[in-house]
Amino acid sequence: MSRTPNENLVTYKLVVVGDGGVGKSAITIQFFQKLFVTDYDPTIEDSYIQHAEVDGTLCILDVLDTAGQEEFSAMREQYMRKGDGFLLVYSVTDVQSFKNIDSFYTQILRVKDRDIYPMLLVANKVDLVHLRQVSEESGRELAHKLGIPYIESSAKDPPLNIDAVFEELVRIIRNQPDADAGKSSRGRRSKNCLIM
Amino acid sequence: MVISVGFDEKKHVEPRMSLDVDSLQPTWRLWGEERVEGAIYTVYLKKVRYHSPSKSISSDSDDEISHLEWETVRVRLIKAGTLEKLVESLATDDGELESTYVNVFLACYRTFSSPKQVLTLVLDRYEQLANNELDLPEVVTEQHRKTLVLALHVWLDTYPEDFRDPPLHPTLHQLLFFTQHHLPGSELEAKVKHKLEKFTREDQLLESCSLFPNDTSLYLNGSHTPSENSCLNGSHLPPFSFPDVPERHFAEQLTRKDQEVFKKLVAHQCLGGIWSRRDKCREASTVLATVAQFNAVSLRVISTILFHPQSKTSERAAIIATWINIAQELRILKNFSSLKAIISGLQSNPVYRLHKTWQALPKDKFELFEELARIFSEENNQWAQRELLMREGTAKFANTAGSRDKHIQKTLQRQLDQSSRISLGTIPYLGTFLTDLTMIDTAIPDTIGEDNLINFDKRRKEFEVLAQIKLLQGAANAYNIPEDASFDRWFDSILVLDDREAYELSCQIETSIPNTNPISALPYARFRRRNISGHRKNDSIASTSSSSSSLFYCDIDTGCSLPSSPHDSLDRKSSLPNIQASPSQMSRSSSSSSIPSLDVSVSSSNTNHSTNQTCSPANSSARWQSTDFYVIRVTQESDNPETEGVVLYKSIMVSNNERTPQVIRNAMLKLGIEGNPDNYTLAQVLPDKEMVLPLNANVYYAVNTAYNLNFILRSKDKVKENGNGALPQKSKSKKHLLLQT
Repeated sequence: MSRTPNENLVTYKLVVVGDGGVGKSAITIQFFQKLFVTDYDPTIEDSYIQHAEVDGTLCILDVLDTAGQEEFSAMREQYMRKGDGFLLVYSVTDVQSFKNIDSFYTQILRVKDRDIYPMLLVANKVDLVHLRQVSEESGRELAHKLGIPYIESSAKDPPLNIDAVFEELVRIIRNQPDADAGKSSRGRRSKNCLIM
Repeated sequence: MVISVGFDEKKHVEPRMSLDVDSLQPTWRLWGEERVEGAIYTVYLKKVRYHSPSKSISSDSDDEISHLEWETVRVRLIKAGTLEKLVESLATDDGELESTYVNVFLACYRTFSSPKQVLTLVLDRYEQLANNELDLPEVVTEQHRKTLVLALHVWLDTYPEDFRDPPLHPTLHQLLFFTQHHLPGSELEAKVKHKLEKFTREDQLLESCSLFPNDTSLYLNGSHTPSENSCLNGSHLPPFSFPDVPERHFAEQLTRKDQEVFKKLVAHQCLGGIWSRRDKCREASTVLATVAQFNAVSLRVISTILFHPQSKTSERAAIIATWINIAQELRILKNFSSLKAIISGLQSNPVYRLHKTWQALPKDKFELFEELARIFSEENNQWAQRELLMREGTAKFANTAGSRDKHIQKTLQRQLDQSSRISLGTIPYLGTFLTDLTMIDTAIPDTIGEDNLINFDKRRKEFEVLAQIKLLQGAANAYNIPEDASFDRWFDSILVLDDREAYELSCQIETSIPNTNPISALPYARFRRRNISGHRKNDSIASTSSSSSSLFYCDIDTGCSLPSSPHDSLDRKSSLPNIQASPSQMSRSSSSSSIPSLDVSVSSSNTNHSTNQTCSPANSSARWQSTDFYVIRVTQESDNPETEGVVLYKSIMVSNNERTPQVIRNAMLKLGIEGNPDNYTLAQVLPDKEMVLPLNANVYYAVNTAYNLNFILRSKDKVKENGNGALPQKSKSKKHLLLQT
């Protein structure tokens, strides 16, 4: 598995899924916003791409977050197909969003036609202690049932585990049993190529 | 306070660039910030023509007159403020409406206030001015009152729904009371009265028809409900039957339906702060109606394709082809909503996984599908789609095609050649705007500072997106498509399937898991290969037997018996010493010992690679990036006498979930080798070494795509016994020459 000379950094396409209103966009923005000094513009080409160092290895994270398009249920599978790993986000203040995780999980496996796929269960908005309706135990139980790791997060200042969420997903992708470092030779590159 | 542009309706929609003050024009210069009690202003210095008609009283121009024809004026734009300050800013000293500010305010105020609250503040402000409670010169007071009235006019004209609150419409009555008191006999009073009458009339009409409030019913209609009753009814046959439907007509009728909901769309319901609230039915019903129409189209694509599991593959492929043709017509019509809905339906899992069906699709149809799907590639933050909308949004015709989109190019050309062209509108895919607005809403804080001043700059940013939507809504008026009731009947008659039903039907149609049956999976690969054709084709050209390149697009099923094959083999034999020969052939030539063969192939593949420089690394990686499959070439490493002198490699498809044993099995099947797959290893041939794939590797991820995907299938026995082991038996049917790219 050599890294070839013209090989750039590995790009991981991370997809954020979950019901509307669970704070997906807040997680994404919190992760990227740090870099933006100037006014935020959601329409520029590299809004959701950035370098990250995970366990000493530099890589590129290309995050797809379709927040606001949840109701367009028909196009969900289309973008799921492109993901290397998925954040399954629910809000601890919203039981329904927790219940819906299962269907996202099933849909991803179906689209990928696999029994397992890199995913991370993200319990978001844990800062809202008084409004919390989904306990950590229930979260961990679901994660165990699905066979994926669990993490709690909050995008409110000070953010909790926002970087960790993305880094952990990269680890999961890297450590998936069949990938072996295989990703490193996929020759994926970002940005410079556009497809019209 | 200088951007004064009367309040002509047309001006409400402005191209987004003009709102971006920073990049507005070189004559604008940021000067700094100014804070007053309850507000923060951004101050710009602006060069204007001396004696310009829009000369502002608030500018400090008097002492800054340049000697010739330019002067610099100071422009204050409110950046953040209390609601009172924001309302105050609706009025200007020169009595002219500052239309940009008023438009942004009226489009976005619902995120931080309510119609009633704002109206009360406007009216209070007016009364304060009228009663001279403010310490302002008379002339200024007068101008402020005048602009407030103008703002109320704009509000009533642009957002009459803000005042609709049946049955009593209290807000409107509040305004009526105000006008009767302060502005009796005015134009504003007449307008208010007129609105009130109109609302009351509509209320009565609604009551007598016992209809639902229009918004909710619109949403329901768009989704599942009506389809069922009309289908159960069954008394009248649906007027159309797939795949034999008039494609252009279908595209037009879909566009008509989209246009209806898009024109009704209330842009500010798309704002992140409103759309992302959980209770959407009430506050964002017009957005939901658009979404419902989108989903309804996708669901119909899926169910027309899956609904008759017993029909023939070719029949099903014909239905897919029809949808692709309709999608193409939608591209011409610049209806990106239904276009994406069809693409989404075709890419939904239950349809996408039907490999045999896709295989039965004509090649050019599949290429067209890929070109259309590329419009919605999420690469680079939906760049393709954004760019297209920018170019064609308000253009009269569709006229943009990527250089790789040969089918779309042809179609556009055909369209341009037609003499009877009519101007077209544009219907965007709303989802991209919704995500942008959600992101803006998340990224920019609602309030600023400890006083929690309302962040009005955020609203300016949001309005840039809303203005685009409004601009396109205006453009959508250009469509003029007569309604066809029989199409609507057809549309409503189609039963839709839920996720689970669709998946189950799909599995009924094609049970096999795609990658366990290489025969079924392979033909699908011929389409996929188009993605990587540049790369592959160049390889073939670089090798001496260029005829192999022409086989590239050939169907795999017929490839085995192509007449050029024997000729090829002769070529190959004679070209053995040629350094540019394909790696597989080199390895074959020295197959008695595996190690040297690798060395040879190393040099050859290097050569091939270097001749491919026209295809830049970035480009080739783009192709890889967009594939869910790779096509790899596998050579058998053996000295089987039956294939003496014949180069033998087979192309096989590797999808993104295949592990080594599966790929070995596929390769054996394709190469016609019988035996136990466990006795073989698979290795990729790289320039400097050979990469043996571990047994548990996912081959798709493990391959090194920086080089040609050439693999060697090797018997373990052979490896162990250094080439002297028992050779696997070749199946008789496959022992003749096989040469394919």
